[in-house]
Amino acid sequence: MPRTSVVESPGCPPLRALATDILGLIKVVEAPANPAGVAKVVETWGTPDASRAVVAASLADRVVDPVLAVARNNGVVELLNPLNGDTLAAVKAAGPAPADSAEDPLATLHLFRRHVPDSSVLGTFLTCTEKGKAYVKSVAKENAASDLAVGPSSSWDVCNSGKVELSSVDAGESYAMFGGKGIEVNLWDITSCSKIWSAKSPRGNSLQIFTRPWFTAGTFLCKDDHRKIVACTNNHQVRLYDTASQRRPVISVDFRESPIKAVAKDPNGHTVYIGTGRGDLASFDMRIGKLLGCFVGKCSGSIRSIVRHPELPLIASCGLDSYLRIWDTNTRQPLSAVFLKQHLTAVVIDSHFSTEVLETKSTQADASVEAEAEVRKERKEKKNRSSKADEGTEMVDHDDSAVEMYTPKRKKSGDKSKGTKKKSKKQQVA
Amino acid sequence: MGMAKERKRRQPDDAPPPGDDGERREHRRDKKPDPVLPSQIKNKEKRSEMHAKLKREKKAQKRKLARERDQAAKLSADLGEQPPEKQVPRTIENTREPDETVCRPDDQELFAGNDADEFNAVLKQQIAPKVLITTCRFNSGRGPAFIEELMQVIPNSHYVKRGTYELKKIVEYANNRGFTSLVVVHTNRREPDALLIINLPDGPTAHFKLSKLVLRKDIKNHGNPTSHKPELVLNNFTTRLGHRIGRMIQSIFPQDPNFRGRRVVTFHNQRDYIFFRHHRYIFETKENKIASKDKKAKTSESKSQPEKQVICRLQECGPRFTLKLITLQHGTFDTKSGEYEWVHKPDMDTSRRRFFL
Repeated sequence: MPRTSVVESPGCPPLRALATDILGLIKVVEAPANPAGVAKVVETWGTPDASRAVVAASLADRVVDPVLAVARNNGVVELLNPLNGDTLAAVKAAGPAPADSAEDPLATLHLFRRHVPDSSVLGTFLTCTEKGKAYVKSVAKENAASDLAVGPSSSWDVCNSGKVELSSVDAGESYAMFGGKGIEVNLWDITSCSKIWSAKSPRGNSLQIFTRPWFTAGTFLCKDDHRKIVACTNNHQVRLYDTASQRRPVISVDFRESPIKAVAKDPNGHTVYIGTGRGDLASFDMRIGKLLGCFVGKCSGSIRSIVRHPELPLIASCGLDSYLRIWDTNTRQPLSAVFLKQHLTAVVIDSHFSTEVLETKSTQADASVEAEAEVRKERKEKKNRSSKADEGTEMVDHDDSAVEMYTPKRKKSGDKSKGTKKKSKKQQVA
Repeated sequence: MGMAKERKRRQPDDAPPPGDDGERREHRRDKKPDPVLPSQIKNKEKRSEMHAKLKREKKAQKRKLARERDQAAKLSADLGEQPPEKQVPRTIENTREPDETVCRPDDQELFAGNDADEFNAVLKQQIAPKVLITTCRFNSGRGPAFIEELMQVIPNSHYVKRGTYELKKIVEYANNRGFTSLVVVHTNRREPDALLIINLPDGPTAHFKLSKLVLRKDIKNHGNPTSHKPELVLNNFTTRLGHRIGRMIQSIFPQDPNFRGRRVVTFHNQRDYIFFRHHRYIFETKENKIASKDKKAKTSESKSQPEKQVICRLQECGPRFTLKLITLQHGTFDTKSGEYEWVHKPDMDTSRRRFFL
């Protein structure tokens, strides 16, 4: 029976995501609040050039001066402004030797989130090449044009042989984990550049056959605990390591038949999302190692990158099928899919996305309303209210409720709380 | 139950609100009763009689309409007017679901992607294509004959016995010898059933299902191909995936055909099935007297024109087969740790009108 009706996706909430591809382009995908639910490409940054293909991307997701870092195939780490795509700095990560990038390309990248306001440092990143050379570098604001790096920079060898495929930095940004083909998962202290812990491969099976370690993806499980590590293998296993207790995995679960290529953690501290080389996306509860369910859609190519939105219950995934897909984590339904033409390598979500001018206005209105509400409270306490002012506040109040009805998901708790704090401070000053 | 069905069927054309039944009954009294459908008749003989009658009427109506159309066309031709628009039949293909992955000719990223992909060196004629053909481990039945014909189709192809080597070893071997593609014919129960095309040195790998294989000797009036480099026809590879598959197939063949050879190899994509045909063509100047006596019905049109006419004739020179893409893998053959660019999954088959190539 031919299908005559079109299945409507429920549509995704306002969202901004940046996807990088093998031609070195960075595409900005936005789902506006109005009309809701249709994600579209709004901007494309860069010129197509395969030698500058992006291998990894990382976003320091902050309210004030956010920075996007991309590692390119030619060994250059670029820092960009994620709001308008301006290149802030381009640093050769490996060092002065130009031949390095061809034989030892960059594999992973992490841009540190912690931010010192009013400092000369634009951003600090940790990058690792495939042969296991890890670098921590800071980029200065002033001499952005030159390749000079300032601040704390260090480098160390993660391993002697093998190929690094994963690295992850914990939420406190003092520990990093590495792993790869022929490299067991190991944990490093970034400040002292020393190895803290390394895993031990599981015992051989009933035939006494060992499998070589080949880790393809990994992440720290909890926000406040750097001791729990989730690592996924090429041998389609999801493993949970507890560095405090033992060197062998605590939990090891098989998932289907193809290598797991991407993993992302959930802020709730026990759920992980994994994506495989055949385009299967699933979520696991790592407390018991149980498969919660698969994300069923028309995902037909290997998944390279998964990101969880820090606040909204949704994830974005991208990969070789050149689609950026947005999924609901609760219902596991696809919300939106955007075709981005090339094989995609990484995706990041900008969680401080303000849709448009309208939105900023509404937040301003919000703030003013809150201020007035507080004023009103004070007045109530004093019990001398003037009718005119009350009417005025009521009017504004109505507006506010209308705005809230219209975009219920747009309000950000963080922003709001900050706004209120500021206001309260002002009040105190007054 | 019959009544219920009847009501259900009739609802769309009367479309009364279901509440006012009495009004509807009154309304029906002064109207002519609806014609009885054959499915409502319980007697089988009467039912089939009725059905035959209806069918006859329908056919007659259709014929009548066709005749009217014909006459209108003839009239307009006589008057020298624009002939009325020909009706286009609605097919699954031309009612295809809209697809955003279809390539556009003005897409700069597409061209940049083409310049960066794995086939670029061969297609820009920097490297001459060199193809290694091998089989699965047990090759018998029509397999060897098929490979023999495939080697005549693909110039600069070399057959290597599979032996007991792993495919990964063969890929390594072919890389060392400077091959640009590796074709593996898989045989099951003495019948070729799959084709694996691996682009060397670093992928991609396409896995096709092979069906409807007809060898040369089973084709009537077949020709024997020459050793000229063939021309290549790739039809309907529209989407990004199709474009990639098309380029992959293109990179097997040399990019400078010998037009003297008049040999054409066609890969025609229709509804995700890729039809392979191999022809030799000839342009002939024919006396129409001889042409009209020819068995071919096509040349009967030339009866009205007395002068000589150039016609094109095709002669098929096998083999003939159909391919269907199962997977496209990133990199060379690797079943355990391979990443796929495209895998056919059952949950994609929700519509007959969606195609991926």
